[in-house]
Amino acid sequence: MSQDKKNQVSRRQFLNYTLTGVGGFMAAGMLAPMVRFAIDPVLQPKAQGDYVSTGKSVDELTSEPQRVDFTIRQVDAWYESDVSKVAWVYKQEDGSILALSPTCTHLGCFVGWNDNENYPNMFYCPCHDGLYEKSGKNVPGTPPTAPLAAFEHDVKDGILYLGKAIPREEA
Amino acid sequence: MKWNKKDMQKYVQAKEYVDTAIIPLVPFSFNKPDEEQIGLTFQNEVLELFVDRVERDFTGRVFQLPSYTYIMSNQLEHEVDRLNAFYQQINEQPFKHTFYLTFDSSWKRVEPKLEGNLIWTPVMKDGDLTSKETQKIVMDQIKQITELIRNYWI
Repeated sequence: MSQDKKNQVSRRQFLNYTLTGVGGFMAAGMLAPMVRFAIDPVLQPKAQGDYVSTGKSVDELTSEPQRVDFTIRQVDAWYESDVSKVAWVYKQEDGSILALSPTCTHLGCFVGWNDNENYPNMFYCPCHDGLYEKSGKNVPGTPPTAPLAAFEHDVKDGILYLGKAIPREEA
Repeated sequence: MKWNKKDMQKYVQAKEYVDTAIIPLVPFSFNKPDEEQIGLTFQNEVLELFVDRVERDFTGRVFQLPSYTYIMSNQLEHEVDRLNAFYQQINEQPFKHTFYLTFDSSWKRVEPKLEGNLIWTPVMKDGDLTSKETQKIVMDQIKQITELIRNYWI
């Protein structure tokens, strides 16, 4: 019959196609998230954990402590804010980098490098005349009782990254 | 140190080290022309920045007290009396130096009657704190103020 000729897709075929199609979509729907999970580490942005870029090239560092400014995102109970931080960074004699926190271990003032003519090449705290050697070690007889904290650091592509300030015990 | 619990706990332990108090003087007004009104809030922001920076550099020696707010006027005589009452209490603690920090020049006229040290500095009427130039000017001014305070300590 002429009508059968036009009806080239049989009922059975139609159902087969539909089921395969729907089944295929369901399978894809289940697999896609699994694949996403499997390759997830590759898709992660290249963050260095808690390390923050200072934008400072390591080549610029010398054996003289330099002031390096950087910004961290700080979240406390109520506020989320950008906090600007400072580190005194220099290359030690063996070539390794030391990043010292400028916070005085006495009461938290800002410690400056070589900025008092009476104490050349030392870290000096203007509040109560606290003194630290270049290595950050506190000078006995001045108010601070612990060395300056040192930042964790990392170097990626020649750029200095800084992490948390780790308090140090007196050597 | 600031006027909050954490710093107050530190302060009561270390009173002998903290000998400098700073009070920002903040003029308040709501009946000035719009432009002046906006300038006033801008100056308040700058003042906050000033005090915050000074406090951050000298945390262990400077106590930042709550801002002293007053209605803006040319007659500050009775404000002087109130402020001196604050000063009395502060002075009973072992605070050797008390600084008032302000951009309002009317204080300059009553300064002789004021106990404590008034630091008045001019500031731009209005501006944009996000712009690099403004930041540079403000940072420079802050640096000079910290220098000034350090000179009192010597």
